[in-house]
Amino acid sequence: MHSVNPILALFYRELKISYRNFSDILSILMFFLLGILIFVFSIGPNTEIFNEIGIGVIWTLILLSNNLSLRKFYQNDFNDGSIILLHMSGLSYELIVLIKIMIIWIFLQLPFFIIIPLAAILLNIELPNVNLILISFLIGSPILTSIASISGSMNLLNQRNFAIGSVIIMILSIPIIIFSVGIINASEEIVRAQLQILIGILFFFLAITPWVSAACIKLAIQNK
Amino acid sequence: MLLANNISFYRNNNIIFKDVSLALPPQKIINITGANGIGKTTLLKILTHVLIPKKGNIFWNGKNIKKNLFNYYKDVTFVMDKQTSNINLSVIENIFFWKKLFSSIISKKEIDAILDLLSLDNYRNTPINYLSNGEIKKLELTRLVIERKKLWMLDEPYIGLDIETINLLNETFINHTKSGGMIIFSSHYVPDIPNIENLQLENYAQR
Repeated sequence: MHSVNPILALFYRELKISYRNFSDILSILMFFLLGILIFVFSIGPNTEIFNEIGIGVIWTLILLSNNLSLRKFYQNDFNDGSIILLHMSGLSYELIVLIKIMIIWIFLQLPFFIIIPLAAILLNIELPNVNLILISFLIGSPILTSIASISGSMNLLNQRNFAIGSVIIMILSIPIIIFSVGIINASEEIVRAQLQILIGILFFFLAITPWVSAACIKLAIQNK
Repeated sequence: MLLANNISFYRNNNIIFKDVSLALPPQKIINITGANGIGKTTLLKILTHVLIPKKGNIFWNGKNIKKNLFNYYKDVTFVMDKQTSNINLSVIENIFFWKKLFSSIISKKEIDAILDLLSLDNYRNTPINYLSNGEIKKLELTRLVIERKKLWMLDEPYIGLDIETINLLNETFINHTKSGGMIIFSSHYVPDIPNIENLQLENYAQR
């Protein structure tokens, strides 16, 4: 039923659009770094405190910057009807969702691998802990993208209340924050168990997101 | 052949239209007419299974499109009332995207010829947000030729076009029907084309 061509075409188009809008990515990274700086200024120059709360601060800001990517998912394609066109080319909505998640993850989450160590320096976090943050981010970021996809598809018809999308992201992200920040504070034996729980959450979200998002998109198209 | 049987559509429990039936054999054109808000766009969206009717079935070559959706889509080009070209990409990038998306075998020479014919060749590398409405509509219509499918569905194809392009479009319609294609479109303007049939949606509305 499917051929590979439409998938590649969509992938290539999304890459191009993301590349054209590179300033969006930069501003999200700026938001992240500035947020960290504001924490530094508001808490004061106490390195011990930073060592304790630094990881929590970084994860909180990752979550907040994730909110900014919310409208990038389906809104434009939905408004101009090209999502219907993509569907008519033989791609199911589920597949479109998967491709979108991949592209958004590559463009909006991968840059954080460079910027997180930088933030860790600002917060004076020790090197082994930085490694742990990066590992938990590697597992946690696809979950965040999936959640943003769910929230983005739920809010396609919502043109007024922009805050509710972020609220949905916040609620769904709570378990990720608990387990990814928990890794650093946990004793060595539990670290592995915590990571496994995080991987479990990742697979759960990867499994349900295409269906949930596709159902929301279909509903939105029906009710437009 | 496209067949629609007794299609009824409700929105918020209000009847938009009731028991619309139509048959579209090859080499024929149907023009859906009717006042604003009568449901022309809705009917086209139902025929492409974007919206699902409350009652009624649609058949393509004898098969219910609900169960053979992607096979049906292989034969349909749908030009919507909105522009589906991406505003961040240039004219030629959008065309190449469509070409790849629909696995079209159209050659570069043909694309050049189409752009030349529609006098879009000066804007090849211009992003869509710098084009005028008419030019965007023209670009949208190139999809008919790129996709090369049997059944064309167009929502208000004449809006924003200059007289030259309208004549060109009518000519394309005639050529398409001559080679066995089918066209269904909605418009207030009734073009002078052979084999055209008017479907007045007013007859099916219940107010």
